[in-house]
Amino acid sequence: MTAEEIQAIFFAECEESLEAAEQGLAACRDGTQDSDTVNAVFRAVHSIKGGAGAFGYIALQGFTHTFETLLSDVRDGTVPITEPLIDLMLGGLDTLSDHVTAARDSGEPPEDAALQAEMTAAMAANAGAAPAAPVAAAPPPPAPAPEPEKAEVADSSGDDFDFDFDLDALLDDISDDMAPAAVAPEARWQVRVRPHAAAMRNGSEPLLMLREMSELGGVCELCDISSIPPLDGFDVGTGYLGWAFSFPASVGEDAVRDIFDFVGDDCSLAFGAQADMPQVQYPEPPVPIAPVATAPIAVPVAAPVAAMVQSPASAVPAPVEAPLAPDPELARTGSAPPAPPAPGQSIRIELGKLDKLIDAVGELVIAQAMMAQRLADQGLAVAEDMTMIEGLTRDIQESAMAIRAQPIGSVFSRVPRILRELASSTGKHVKLEVSGETTELDKTVIERLGEPLTHLIRNAVDHGIEQADERIAAGKPAEGTLTLSAEHRSGRILIRIGDDGKGIDRERVFAKAVEKGLISPDTVMSKEEIDLLIFAPGFSTAQTVTNVSGRGVGMDVVRQNVKDLGGRITIDSEPGKGTTFTLTLPLTLAISDGMVVNVGDQTLVVPLANVVESLRPEPNEVQGLGASRCMINVRGRFIPVIPLSQSVGAAGACTDPRDGVLIVVETEGAGRAALLVDAICDQRQVVIKSLDTHYRSVEGVAGATILGDGRVALIVDVDSLVSRSLASAGGNSPLAEAA
Amino acid sequence: MTTTTTRILTVDDSPSMRALLNHALSGHGFDVSQAEDGMAALDWLAMNEVDVVITDINMPRLDGFGLIERLREGSRHRDRPILVLTTESSDEKKARARAAGATGWIVKPFDPEKLVAAVRRVAH
Repeated sequence: MTAEEIQAIFFAECEESLEAAEQGLAACRDGTQDSDTVNAVFRAVHSIKGGAGAFGYIALQGFTHTFETLLSDVRDGTVPITEPLIDLMLGGLDTLSDHVTAARDSGEPPEDAALQAEMTAAMAANAGAAPAAPVAAAPPPPAPAPEPEKAEVADSSGDDFDFDFDLDALLDDISDDMAPAAVAPEARWQVRVRPHAAAMRNGSEPLLMLREMSELGGVCELCDISSIPPLDGFDVGTGYLGWAFSFPASVGEDAVRDIFDFVGDDCSLAFGAQADMPQVQYPEPPVPIAPVATAPIAVPVAAPVAAMVQSPASAVPAPVEAPLAPDPELARTGSAPPAPPAPGQSIRIELGKLDKLIDAVGELVIAQAMMAQRLADQGLAVAEDMTMIEGLTRDIQESAMAIRAQPIGSVFSRVPRILRELASSTGKHVKLEVSGETTELDKTVIERLGEPLTHLIRNAVDHGIEQADERIAAGKPAEGTLTLSAEHRSGRILIRIGDDGKGIDRERVFAKAVEKGLISPDTVMSKEEIDLLIFAPGFSTAQTVTNVSGRGVGMDVVRQNVKDLGGRITIDSEPGKGTTFTLTLPLTLAISDGMVVNVGDQTLVVPLANVVESLRPEPNEVQGLGASRCMINVRGRFIPVIPLSQSVGAAGACTDPRDGVLIVVETEGAGRAALLVDAICDQRQVVIKSLDTHYRSVEGVAGATILGDGRVALIVDVDSLVSRSLASAGGNSPLAEAA
Repeated sequence: MTTTTTRILTVDDSPSMRALLNHALSGHGFDVSQAEDGMAALDWLAMNEVDVVITDINMPRLDGFGLIERLREGSRHRDRPILVLTTESSDEKKARARAAGATGWIVKPFDPEKLVAAVRRVAH
């Protein structure tokens, strides 16, 4: 954009401003004299003045300055709004308009001396003197225009060009003083700087000031670290350090003061000859830095340099109120309340107590559901009240869960070491890319995640990533890349372990599975199903059994581990490009989202994690397959229908897909399937009770939960139920890909 | 200072002032974005990252003081350097801007070199 274009914008803006000012003054004349109206006029004139100054229209700037000053007084109520004043201002507006026109057309500026004098008089007279102004304005001699205007301009520009900090002087000083920096040491003088605790709360960065001091030729003589609190009480937003810089005599004090112009009262400064402040007085007594709240309410901490220097006796240790490990979760939630705790304030709790709380919260969720049900049965439920309690219960539950949550980074941080070990044993050097390491999930999940994750990483390096020469031949960088990521997605955690290796060799996997007797040679399998074979117990494709990935007992254990965590694992592999394992894990083990369904006389819960969609099939979408089986066509893909009643032995359930509801579920081992149920009653959080501890492990059942009406409902283990039921129907090859 | 481009948001209700700022700063390799008042700045900052904010004081809807206060209240822009750029140079205004949490102060009309120096001084 050229200067002319910007000027064009300015003049267009002037037109708008003049119009706005005109409207405002008209409103004033008509009786609307509130501060908003006057301020609009002020802002219009002010805006023109700003541009006039920037573009160097001196006459325009001078006039607007006077006009603006008058308007400012009017706005502040110093000059009352009277009829003559409004006339004066309207006259001023006309002249202003002429000024703008003159500036735009490079014409002669209008004669405004009389008007300016009148305005000045109106201000001087303060109250009610406006009518007298014309008289006062009359005396100016016939040709007074240039002088007063210039004087005025000189004044105002002196005012306006005056930087708050004198950068020019500073810049000059820099160039002047850089050379003679190496003068005799006795000529040096000192500056002591101690940014206050709140010094960094206005966007300042003390480091920049230190840097500027060194650029000026200052030498850091001392850094006072005596006020640094123990690590537990350390707040990164607080300044704990003080510095002493010495300067050669050739560097002026003003130049150094300029550095701190923006800092104002946020920083203690002391200037003086080196002799005045002998070094032996250091280290000074620690200036007590009170723990400072994280909230914007800055606590001004008095750390006067005088005290720093002159009273070495008052050694007060920095009080640290809460020497506890910082907990990000607590710190975050803690910053909201009016009296926030010191940053990093936390408390150590025995895990058992926490688990008890989580259990109790689980019971609360059940009790709340039961109460809601009771009230609904009695017709007493008041929707808002229940919604509130429901919301509160959920809040409590989430908070309780958050206490147990930890960032997954603790697991990820072990990976570089694993990779180093692998590099030395396999000779494959692998670059690690990590993202989402702050993603939080349940402590138990994290603890139990280490093993499967380690195994997947070893597997990726051992089987996925090729040897360097092989990679180069394939046109890839010699160094392989392992990508680790974690993210929240709709109440679950997705963890991805990806490599850029050769991908899964499906032919070999298939051959191996046949050889191991896991499948028959004529089995028809999709690519995904072949990939999943690597999770089959006793499967190993490594040409030679390496000591890294073990003896083929790994991947099925990985899958079992993930499954025990209520999660699923999927594979996405592309030959030549690499393989990505995706672990989908619940945020917590204790509570999960489930779909409550009716099957005959039973109520069951289908984990929402497995549910893809639910639908009522059209008659023509259902196709029989043999005597008792049927498939459903879901958008062109045929999916086997599994009546849940068959698996759980429920009586009186519907058996025709056309009468019930189909829940399409995703499984690990058997692709998609559609579970036939009578009806879906609810979708809610269920507290998982282990069947193992209360009864015994049952295949096809993941656990049990207590429903709102007090009944116990089984939670369906979708994976095992589907694969079992498909297997019993003849042939373990899923029918999903028949289409 | 980092080697990456310093991103600046200029907040001013005057299009010509924004154009001038843009002209002065872009020429020095800064990445300049613009907002027409405090509200627009807040909206923009909710979606974008920036290294330095330069704001006018007298603006409709939300003025410069209000903008600074709002930014300091939140956590994302609490440590952002904010320069106040205005034709008003009264001490009272400066004190208010400082109380609101302004990092520095520049008086209009500005000299482009001084403006750039001021931005460099506060840019982290």
